[in-house]
Amino acid sequence: MTSDGCGAPAGGAALPADAGNQAVVQGQVTRDGTAVRTGYARLLNDGGEFVAEVPLGADGGFRFFAAPGTWTVRVLAPGGVSVDRSVTADFGQVSDVAVAV
Amino acid sequence: MSRSDVLVDADWVDAHKNDPGVVVVEVDEDTAAYDAGHIAGAIKLDWKKDLQDPVRRDFVDRAGFEALLSERGISNDDTVILYGGNNNWFAAYAYWYFRLYGHQNVKLLDGGRKKWELDSRELVKDVPDRPRTSYHATDQDIAIRAFRDEVVAAIGKLNLVDVRSPDEFAGRLLAPAHLPQEQAQRGGHIPTAKNVPWSKAANDDGTFKSDDELRTLYGDQAGLDFGRDTIAYCRIGERSAHTWFVLHELLDQPNVKNYDGSWTEYGSLVGVPIELGDGQ
Repeated sequence: MTSDGCGAPAGGAALPADAGNQAVVQGQVTRDGTAVRTGYARLLNDGGEFVAEVPLGADGGFRFFAAPGTWTVRVLAPGGVSVDRSVTADFGQVSDVAVAV
Repeated sequence: MSRSDVLVDADWVDAHKNDPGVVVVEVDEDTAAYDAGHIAGAIKLDWKKDLQDPVRRDFVDRAGFEALLSERGISNDDTVILYGGNNNWFAAYAYWYFRLYGHQNVKLLDGGRKKWELDSRELVKDVPDRPRTSYHATDQDIAIRAFRDEVVAAIGKLNLVDVRSPDEFAGRLLAPAHLPQEQAQRGGHIPTAKNVPWSKAANDDGTFKSDDELRTLYGDQAGLDFGRDTIAYCRIGERSAHTWFVLHELLDQPNVKNYDGSWTEYGSLVGVPIELGDGQ
């Protein structure tokens, strides 16, 4: 399913049925308890290097498929908002990150 | 070629988007982003449905490109302003593609859709109705497109730039991390390739870094020999189109090719050398 594109759908790609072997990092961005729809989530590796970016979904959500290790999720939103959250990922796990901006 | 020949900023687009002879085009991986709101007057191109052959792994041919642009109402003389998501990743790919078929006046909106959104500029849902044109393309300019045999021959001779993330370069990830990690082919990179992730050429807001910063990035830091020809690749040739744009259009390097077969082709070839691990 991945060889036909490199696209980053809003909110991130859907969880595949066989997600059991994936190291998933996902979450939701909120402001005062309300989903932030306009913004971007970036995934940086433990050296601070950019790895991926998705536009936030309609529910403020994002999802990445990482590898085992420590990662940083950086959320960008209008008004110069830039918020970092550290997260660890491992195969077979879904790591949830809630980000309030 | 200078920056002003190939890039425009948002204020320019706001001032000129309704000018006759200017066509603003959003290029995204799916049309959901465009359909949810786009720059007023912009039309859309779908990088996959519109620009890829539906059967073979290749681009639409010259006649197909002519039919597409004619149908979308783009003329040979029009100035085409491309923008898209992902730091203009797909827009840069479309830019390279327009150049491949000989379109003269094409530019990128610096920062693309992301900066436009983060600056809270207006997005509309109205879809413009452009009258049909009769577009004429040239044959593909293969001076900017690399194929697998010349890539293998370039090992140790030309600059090879792998623009994927460090984790993909090393073989730890097989796809960008916004996609599920499942692939049939081998991981790693082409021997002697330098890893300069495409994203290093862009600021967080998606705009391109300055020429000085870019020269330092590819030259002093990555060790590219600006006196040699260069081939850029990634996974399917889109992120490397972004790097092709930087090297060929912004830094004015004369001989730069984008290898659109990229890792999904190279990593599946039988018998070619592969290197693993991080770059130096």
